[in-house]
Amino acid sequence: MRWRHPVFVGLILALTPIAAATEEAGVSARDAWLRETPPGVAVMAGYMLLQNNTSRPQVLVAARSSGFETVVIHRTIVKGGMIGMGHAPQIELLPNARLLFAPGGHHLMLLNPKRALRAGDRVDIHLEFRGGLVLPVAFEVRK
Amino acid sequence: MMTTVVLAAMLVVVWLAATYRENGSRAILLPDQVMTLFPDPKPLTAFAFTDHENRAFDLSRLKGKWSFLFFGYTHCPDICPTTLATLARAHENIVKSTVGAKDVQFVFISVDPNRDTAGKLGQYVSYFDATFLGVTGDNAQLGKLAGQLGAAYEVAITPGMENYPVYHTAAVFLVDPRARYHAVFAPPLDAEGISRRFNVLRELEGPKAT
Repeated sequence: MRWRHPVFVGLILALTPIAAATEEAGVSARDAWLRETPPGVAVMAGYMLLQNNTSRPQVLVAARSSGFETVVIHRTIVKGGMIGMGHAPQIELLPNARLLFAPGGHHLMLLNPKRALRAGDRVDIHLEFRGGLVLPVAFEVRK
Repeated sequence: MMTTVVLAAMLVVVWLAATYRENGSRAILLPDQVMTLFPDPKPLTAFAFTDHENRAFDLSRLKGKWSFLFFGYTHCPDICPTTLATLARAHENIVKSTVGAKDVQFVFISVDPNRDTAGKLGQYVSYFDATFLGVTGDNAQLGKLAGQLGAAYEVAITPGMENYPVYHTAAVFLVDPRARYHAVFAPPLDAEGISRRFNVLRELEGPKAT
């Protein structure tokens, strides 16, 4: 039969792991970056676009990185005409929805980097979701 | 006869160009969400800060220049670096304008003098722009200037807590060369939005502001 052609079989075999990985990943991240800081500053902010690829809500509960002492999920909030930061204990991603972490809104607050990070450096941060899902994301340091 | 017609036509063109320019300027300076302009700018009164080179920074330092003021603190990961990077780009735009930026200064006012020493402030502001000033003062002095600008802030110092929360206004305040509170830029801030409006305002105010 036509579909038994080796090229077709090869394609199907090659695509299977990708499809499986995507389904398993459940959530994907892109455009992940950290803002480079002035010298002497030990607090950084991380931004990204999170995409929930599943038809269930996904809840981000923690973030960890071996490159930093602490990583906190944060949100810049408005309080009486002032802005401040609030710890967001968990952030829900709606089914098949995207959530933007951007300046002035949701961000990861990263404390005490283990080494000085400059524009162009990369740092891995693991995003932990309820139910045990862990998504490793490579963040690029940008100016 | 011909000369008169040509001359008249030229005058009309000049007049049209002038009108267009003025209307253009006015249109840009109509109240909008980016900049609030005060028709009757309020003269500021005395306060005493210290700048990042340990020099006194008081009311006299606001005279003779347009000053962009922003309140924040160096341990701020999100809004402060975002705003200072935006202001650095706005400054670049103003430098490139025909008038330049000799009569303009950018001042970062730390509301967290407990952690932000002169040395730290210097390192911090010059990372964004070598011409930026970092200043701070004690709580009473910070309150004096912040109060006049309606710039609220709150530092929730907690003993033993390394990263205590700080709340501050995200607006950028514009003080004119007579040390009067002239305009305020509201977030979200963008460099072009700020520099374009500032250049028009400075041109309209011209010598009367100085």
